[in-house]
Amino acid sequence: MISGLLSRFAIDPVIHITPLTVFTIKGFAITNSMFYGVICAVLILIVLITVARRMTLKPKGGLTQIVEVGTDFITDTLKGALGSEEKAVKYAPYFVAIFFFILFSNWLGLLPFVGEAFKSHGEPLTRPFTADLNGTLAAAIITWLLVQYFAIRESGPLKHLRHYFNGSLKNPITLLLGIFEIFSDFTRIASLALRLFLNVAIGEIIIAVFSALGGVAGSVTALPFTILELLVGALQAYIFVMLSIMYLAVAVNHDAHDDSDEPLTVDEVVNAEVGKASN
Amino acid sequence: MVYFAEAVNTAVLAKGIMMGFGMIGPAIGIGLIGNAFMTAVGRNPEASKYLGQVLVIIAIIELMALLVFASVFIIK
Repeated sequence: MISGLLSRFAIDPVIHITPLTVFTIKGFAITNSMFYGVICAVLILIVLITVARRMTLKPKGGLTQIVEVGTDFITDTLKGALGSEEKAVKYAPYFVAIFFFILFSNWLGLLPFVGEAFKSHGEPLTRPFTADLNGTLAAAIITWLLVQYFAIRESGPLKHLRHYFNGSLKNPITLLLGIFEIFSDFTRIASLALRLFLNVAIGEIIIAVFSALGGVAGSVTALPFTILELLVGALQAYIFVMLSIMYLAVAVNHDAHDDSDEPLTVDEVVNAEVGKASN
Repeated sequence: MVYFAEAVNTAVLAKGIMMGFGMIGPAIGIGLIGNAFMTAVGRNPEASKYLGQVLVIIAIIELMALLVFASVFIIK
């Protein structure tokens, strides 16, 4: 595949896009990304539970502060999207958890021994969890299910369905647009999953290609792209959580048709008249 | 009779054409967002903090470019 003057020093890059089965438990195949995903999840649980126990009112440096910065960031985004602080705190646990899971899953995939280095039976033993379309599809589907559950818990199932059809129900265009909106919900799952998977998997491919181009000095030539992958991993985790917060805000937000339903009270009319008279 | 698909490697040709045409759209789109950002910040430099956070829209457009790049590995 590689030809040229220095081709005697060249190594072909080995690229895998689909996960490969590592071992089977009672006929149920476990892939290398599932294996590493479980390892990552256990590590993240240990870190987060340790940090949660060390919460104090006075700020302390170290790992606690990093986790607090991440939590504050997501809670601020929630507050900006949902409007009030207590709604933000109500929904914060899931979004902070999925943010840290995707962030650390992306970052832990950049360690040197993950990927092609350790092989068992000629196949890589570990693979980052988000570099596998199955993993990101699972995250996207569970996020969608939880957003639907939160929206139904907030406003009831019939009102939530009515939310897709805005306008009067006697208009046939409203029905068409409503069905279109329901279908676009499913494309949101696909776009969330594909965005995360493609960014991380293509990052892996780029690192593999550039470390193969380096030959002997492969670890040096792949260094700038590993640093780029740190940034891309963090950005993609933030975008995943930000988009799912926006979908939740759209599904939960009822300001458009709530205010017009209630008639004005006597006090409001009197105050409006008094305000007009005094101006 | 020699078929076109036997004489020319149409898979490589398809990949090349797809990458070429596919990357035009996202590149122009991201350029337009950069244009709007710079115009807005030029008029009101204090808005750069708020508008800089909206720049994450670029990652949503990148999805289209990455879909093209990923299709290269799907075509055999």
